[in-house]
Amino acid sequence: MQPMGNEKPGPPSFPGRPIVSPFVASPPTGMPFSSPGPVPGPTGYDASGYRNTAPARFNGPAIPPPPLPYGPPAANSYQRFPTPQFPSFAQPVPPLGGPPSSGQPTFPSNFIPGAGQQTMPPPPSYHLQPQIPSVPMGPPPPSVDLPAARANAPQSTLPGVPSMQYPYRQADPIPQVPAVQTSPFVAQRGGYAAPPLAAPMGLSLREQMQYSAGGPPMGSLQGLIEEFNSLSVGSVPGSVEPGVDSKSLPRPLDGDVLPQSFMENYPLNCDPLYFRLTTSAIPSSQSLLSRWHLPLGVVVHPLAESPNGEEVPVVNFGAGGIVRCRRCRTYVNPYVTFSESGRKWRCNICSLLNDVSGEYYAQLDANNIRIDINQRPELTKGSVEYVAPAEYMVRPPMPPLYFFLIDVSVTAVRSGMLEVVAKTIKSCLDELPGSPRTQIGFLTFDSTLHFYNMKSSLTQPQMMVVSDLDDIFVPLPDDLLVNLSESRSVVDAFLDSLPSMFQDNVNVESAFGPALKAAFMVMNRLGGKLLIFQSTLPSLGVGRLRLRGDDSRVYGTDKEPALRTPEDPFYKQMAADLTKFQIGVNVYAFSDNYTDIASLGTLAKYTGGQLQYYPSFRGSLHGERLRHELARDLTRETAWEAVMRIRCGKGVRFTTYHGNFMLRSTDLLSLPAVDCDKAFAAQFALEETLLTTQTVYFQVALLYTSSSGERRIRVHTAAAPVVTDLGDMYRQADVGAIMSLFSRLAIEKTLSYKLEDARQSVQMRIVKALKEYRNLYAVQHRLAGRLIYPESLKFLPLYGLALLKSIPLRGGFADAHLDERCATGYTVMNLPVKRLLKLLYPSLIQIDDYLVKAPDDARDGENYLRKVPLAAENLNPKGLYLYDDGLRFILWFGRMFASDIASDLLGVDINSLPDLSQINFCARENKISRKLMELVKRFREADPSNYQLCHIVRQGERVREGSLLLVNLVEDQIGGASGYVDWILQIHRQVQQSA
Amino acid sequence: MGIDLVSLLVSFLIIIALLALVVYQLMCLADLEFDYINPYDSASRINKVVLPEFITQGALCLVFLLTGNWLLFLLSSPYLYYNVRLYMRRQHLVDVTEIFNLLNWEKKQRLIKLVYIVVLLFFCIFWMIWTVLEDHDDEL
Repeated sequence: MQPMGNEKPGPPSFPGRPIVSPFVASPPTGMPFSSPGPVPGPTGYDASGYRNTAPARFNGPAIPPPPLPYGPPAANSYQRFPTPQFPSFAQPVPPLGGPPSSGQPTFPSNFIPGAGQQTMPPPPSYHLQPQIPSVPMGPPPPSVDLPAARANAPQSTLPGVPSMQYPYRQADPIPQVPAVQTSPFVAQRGGYAAPPLAAPMGLSLREQMQYSAGGPPMGSLQGLIEEFNSLSVGSVPGSVEPGVDSKSLPRPLDGDVLPQSFMENYPLNCDPLYFRLTTSAIPSSQSLLSRWHLPLGVVVHPLAESPNGEEVPVVNFGAGGIVRCRRCRTYVNPYVTFSESGRKWRCNICSLLNDVSGEYYAQLDANNIRIDINQRPELTKGSVEYVAPAEYMVRPPMPPLYFFLIDVSVTAVRSGMLEVVAKTIKSCLDELPGSPRTQIGFLTFDSTLHFYNMKSSLTQPQMMVVSDLDDIFVPLPDDLLVNLSESRSVVDAFLDSLPSMFQDNVNVESAFGPALKAAFMVMNRLGGKLLIFQSTLPSLGVGRLRLRGDDSRVYGTDKEPALRTPEDPFYKQMAADLTKFQIGVNVYAFSDNYTDIASLGTLAKYTGGQLQYYPSFRGSLHGERLRHELARDLTRETAWEAVMRIRCGKGVRFTTYHGNFMLRSTDLLSLPAVDCDKAFAAQFALEETLLTTQTVYFQVALLYTSSSGERRIRVHTAAAPVVTDLGDMYRQADVGAIMSLFSRLAIEKTLSYKLEDARQSVQMRIVKALKEYRNLYAVQHRLAGRLIYPESLKFLPLYGLALLKSIPLRGGFADAHLDERCATGYTVMNLPVKRLLKLLYPSLIQIDDYLVKAPDDARDGENYLRKVPLAAENLNPKGLYLYDDGLRFILWFGRMFASDIASDLLGVDINSLPDLSQINFCARENKISRKLMELVKRFREADPSNYQLCHIVRQGERVREGSLLLVNLVEDQIGGASGYVDWILQIHRQVQQSA
Repeated sequence: MGIDLVSLLVSFLIIIALLALVVYQLMCLADLEFDYINPYDSASRINKVVLPEFITQGALCLVFLLTGNWLLFLLSSPYLYYNVRLYMRRQHLVDVTEIFNLLNWEKKQRLIKLVYIVVLLFFCIFWMIWTVLEDHDDEL
């Protein structure tokens, strides 16, 4: 979308809307925003295109898509064009409208001429026309005519105009209604130069123009779309229902979109996959920052897997050592500059001039570029991996080490957890990374601790039971951790016999705390990964926990947040000690009852691990998920004994970090074991009142030991411009990163405040941000009755609403089980942006057409899949829907869905009201079922980090339907939380208050 | 030399000890902030002296109370109340996992304590001098 000069308050520093930028995200309309038009250069900083100063005649950006009838858009031709079309007020229709098919071309032509002129205070007559353009969203031809007619209206129409507008708008669902001023005539009259007699009036009219996106005509219209988007929320004359048309609200049906501006402005930046700023425009002053009410920070995903399998290039400097800045220790990167014929280089972060060592020297060419630049990935790529020499090691690189701490009490055995775990571990032994150095060990516990000696000289593992829980000692400290390849047969024998060893165990106690301490004592010489499988509440010894959280009266009082924090300081202390010795903890919790996830999760939180929660685990039903997720945990590439630091340029400083890690110093994150599924967030602040630089550079460095025993440093470098205009910050905003920070902040807030407070703070910040944005534009435009927001943040309100309804934050006591709340909270703290957005606004896909009609070759079938908004009204009783939030699937059968297909899929007659929770979802011997399984498989492969179990639910199935699906339809009104439309109205009202 | 003077001297010494404990904690926090020591050491050093600090302060209040220095006792009782409240809520120890997020708060809290103690110290000295002068007056 192109910038119209008008809306801007003053000459913005980025003149145009960054062509570049945020719009990419703009969705369904698929508009050619990018139409290169007159805007030169990829930078978007170049204003020339649309300035009013420039020949107002044509507005580059507005250049219409190819189909337009007129030839090369010479300014003149435009001018002439309109004339014939608006001969009289009354008659305009025929010429303009034409048959629907021709509508598209004609339409645009009218508007385009005007585009250039927006900046001028248009004479009154123009304004009228602008309003006209309540452009038809859809193809409906009639509406097209109307505007045209109106447009002609000379001053006479003026007064009445505003009211006329509305009806149109109402009629068509308007996805994004930017207030745009287009004055078609301007050009032709040449009159725009006229003094702005009627300026005020003109302005008001102008606002009313709305474009709707989505219809075919939109193509060219998009070009005119203004700086901001807006939604009409006022009541509309002529319609009974006040409020918003719910169909017109923006929805992220396509999920996350990587911000493009980030790369386009600075092509040498690392991929946004690894590093996402909440806004790729850094405010230049404290005062500007104080007006940006959204978080200012980054989401870092250092080991992200590139979707196209691209590898990060590895650089080995050999004996010369890694090239770093002497002062700030920045790694050499694409933004450093070489000078003095290649003998010096200037650090981009601290501006220090460094010497180039003999080994690294290369001559410069005429442009001061090193002649060997093509052999130097570190100077051309934003992401590289350095092989670190010995000075980066405090000890010899550790071998990959896996230690399993397994609960074998009666619940663990009965649920089938023990069996699944033993089998999965065994099947993964071959794929554990780092062979042949990999070390492994086991400890099981119920009311006693069982150690296993697996020395390679033995044929059978030797079990040693320790029952003194108060004074734990480790028998045979040397043989509990063994080299996997040497002791492979013993380990195999152990895993084979493990389920049967305890199958008759009736012990219900759990000495979890002592077991954890014992595991710590076994591991603390090497570090590694500790996998904990816990299926009951720890009941013996140190760290025992008690039932809590089943008292609904606690909610709403000051004691509420304590439920979400560890009850016993033992867990925090343990977590700190584990991290100190490079032990990362992954907790797998299985239970029907309360297991105090809040306490157990702390272990994962401060050791850079993760928490997987399997409520009411049954091996037969949920085993597949555990198998898959445990296998992924064991086989994915893991970075051991890692530390991460984010460096940034002068004047900017990282203040807080959010995620699963422990801070070892103010800016050093300690990550005993980190892998490709973990992302971290951080916020930064300005240290000085005014930034003097043009660009701020960031560099993320992750120093780790790879499974092969090599010390490596993964470095991601990025740059972002410093801006002086708040509008630019909004334009470059990245809603994904913002939501990621919002979620983490809100969840952290629930640890010390009530849920209600956390929800309110999210809402307040969204309102403040939109209010500030409104203030940017409200001066020139009368925007009563509209909610305006930047294109880049069009999904912010919806994601905000989804966050308030997400499991960690929703409702009160009854709305989510305490354990589930905490477990999801811990998960969210880890999630990369893309998966977070999917969790917040899951996809709901109608798949019955696909199953029945789509041709067999899967590629072609996509068109039959229909993504629908998350509202119950979109669920057709004849349909079959798949709900996917990244953690699970829910297959929803409509009440009137063809029962023969249903029985093909499920293997039972759905009309006989079977218990769907017990149905095993698997491939049946028929085509449709195979097709469904293939589809599900494809969705699963799109995100391998979790295995989505498929839950089946039928419409009208009382409790289950509600708890599985309906509560997750975020656009509906659920319990006390508002629906999407109400939410928008609410936000709008608050934005208006004291605006 | 009256009993008053002795008790004031004792409390003076106690206040100095308290001052030292709080300054020590502040130093640990500052070291942590500038990365001279790691959070584990810092937290364990601070936590080692937290209870001594609380006990010393309690003793100070007791001395004031027993020797009838009502004003000084009143002056130091909010501090006592704050300490007791922290202790009852089990928030008196520094949390090593969150120490960086709480750094500013921990520092602020101890700086306020420091100012408080210094004020107390001045009062105590003032009282002491007053008492000495009064003794003199009596002798005359």
